[in-house]
Amino acid sequence: MLPELIRIIIFSLTNGVVWALIVALVALGLSFIFGLMEIVNIAHGELYMLGAVLTWYGLALLGNFWLGVIIASLIMGAFGIGLERVVLRSFEGRVADTVIVTIGLSYILQQIALATFGGAPRTIPDPLPVAVQFLGINYPAYRLLITGVSALALIGLWLFLYRTSLGIHIRAAMQDREMASAMGIPVSRVYTMTFSIGALLAALGGALAAPVVQLFYLMGLDILCVSFIVVIVGGLGSLKGTLVASLIICPLEGVMTVFITPTEARVVSFIIMAVVLLIRPRGLFGTAGR
Amino acid sequence: MPQRLRKVISKPTTLSLSIVVCLLALLGLILPTGMRSLLIDIMIFSIFAMAYDILFGFSNQFSYGQALFFGVGAYGVLLPILHMKVNLWTGMLIAEMLCLFFALALGSLAVRVSGAYFVIITIIFNMIFYLLALDWTWLTGGDDGLSFAVPPIPLGFASFSVYDPIVNYYFTFFFFITTYLILKRIIDSPLGRILVSIRENEERVRFLGYDVIRYKLIAYIISALFTGLSGALYAVRTRYASAEYFSLAISAEPIIWTLIGGAGTLIGPIIGAAVITSLIYYIGVWWKHYLIIIGALMIILLRVSPKGIVGYIASKMR
Repeated sequence: MLPELIRIIIFSLTNGVVWALIVALVALGLSFIFGLMEIVNIAHGELYMLGAVLTWYGLALLGNFWLGVIIASLIMGAFGIGLERVVLRSFEGRVADTVIVTIGLSYILQQIALATFGGAPRTIPDPLPVAVQFLGINYPAYRLLITGVSALALIGLWLFLYRTSLGIHIRAAMQDREMASAMGIPVSRVYTMTFSIGALLAALGGALAAPVVQLFYLMGLDILCVSFIVVIVGGLGSLKGTLVASLIICPLEGVMTVFITPTEARVVSFIIMAVVLLIRPRGLFGTAGR
Repeated sequence: MPQRLRKVISKPTTLSLSIVVCLLALLGLILPTGMRSLLIDIMIFSIFAMAYDILFGFSNQFSYGQALFFGVGAYGVLLPILHMKVNLWTGMLIAEMLCLFFALALGSLAVRVSGAYFVIITIIFNMIFYLLALDWTWLTGGDDGLSFAVPPIPLGFASFSVYDPIVNYYFTFFFFITTYLILKRIIDSPLGRILVSIRENEERVRFLGYDVIRYKLIAYIISALFTGLSGALYAVRTRYASAEYFSLAISAEPIIWTLIGGAGTLIGPIIGAAVITSLIYYIGVWWKHYLIIIGALMIILLRVSPKGIVGYIASKMR
């Protein structure tokens, strides 16, 4: 039997890896949306929150958690389409304005959740109440399942970006919008799809995380914070960077919380972020220019 | 619309300013308590908004972290009074000195970068202060915050208690007018012109031989000092400060006020602060989800007039 401290650290580290994949789902959406449309989506955390809340409703109405996850993600994807076309389209490119508009959006979404879901935190029962033993710890199986599903989603995303024509269009438009448009790529449709995918990923992250965290109308704030750190450290516009940064920061925060408070751990993450920015402003894998 | 009225709004003359000042001075005496209270808040937030305009509207440094100085100003006046029983002026002076210190320390790092990276650095600095404020409850009271008894204002011939709403009104009014006058003076001075030039074409200003970093730092410090002032006034008004004073939510407010009202005009942010604060005050009373309306308004206002309320009025009068 390993000493208690080692077991606690392994547990926290595993938690960190599980969390890192969820954060990667959310942060990738954020990175796309900024990288392509220059929208700083302050409401991105609310998309995650709505994914979780809709899953709760899905479970309550349909009795099946996984069905709830799928439906919640699809609803939010559709919502993303509407959001981009109706609200955000006219603000693309104007960074300062997108901050204000998405702040306003976050107020609206938070209040809607508060009005319907309520202000009291709720939980979703563990869909897989089994424990797995490895490395001397008993670990909840559902969390490992999250890792599996998130990894699948990330692989799916990679395949989508690198093996489909829409994916190529997105990458092209991110690289050089005018050239892409000149080559006949329907840039505005690409924008809409990108935002929709970003929203879907965030909602999926929320849906998967729902049984693990407390559902609360303000739960988007924390994930926005850490997603933001991850996107910057990884490098704006770099998907690999976001994933790597997430896999570094989240387990690190997890292990730190064994010794210091979560708040202090977050301060350390911010200091790391500041140091990275000062030494290498592009982030770990950021593409130069922009 | 008459030529005179257009000038009044986009370039206030001494006459129009005097009218507004007299009106405000009078309102302090005749308004009912609720509205007077609202006006005090509007004046405090206007100082915060004007300070932000210097930073964003005039030297194009988009910061999402001014709550740092708001909180420093608030605690800077609260802690000395609470622990060392200094008088109010000394407390406010200490608050300003602390803001100056942090503005110099943090600003020297922050102004070296621009654009997206500047925003990020301001957010990081803000978050570090916020998180530490939440954690160090021995110093700040954390989320619960600290209350304090505000000593009376000594004015040589008499002492006035800030607990009297009328005194509070004129105390705030004094700083509001002073802030506007000082900032207007700065805008109209050569320094102000340089800041505007930096906003218009930073590279060119550099080629002309100006030390852009130094001017940006000056703007950052000026903004920080007045932001701290608004924080101190707010702490005095509420007799309270908490870690929330450092939050990003507070940082967002001057951004909203300035962009809604019209950046780069000094008057615009005041209007923005007045409109938003009044809306929250009146709507918040009958609907607890008033933020939905505020959020929707932010989106609609910015969509209809990207240059804010002042820009809209100015364009209507052309």
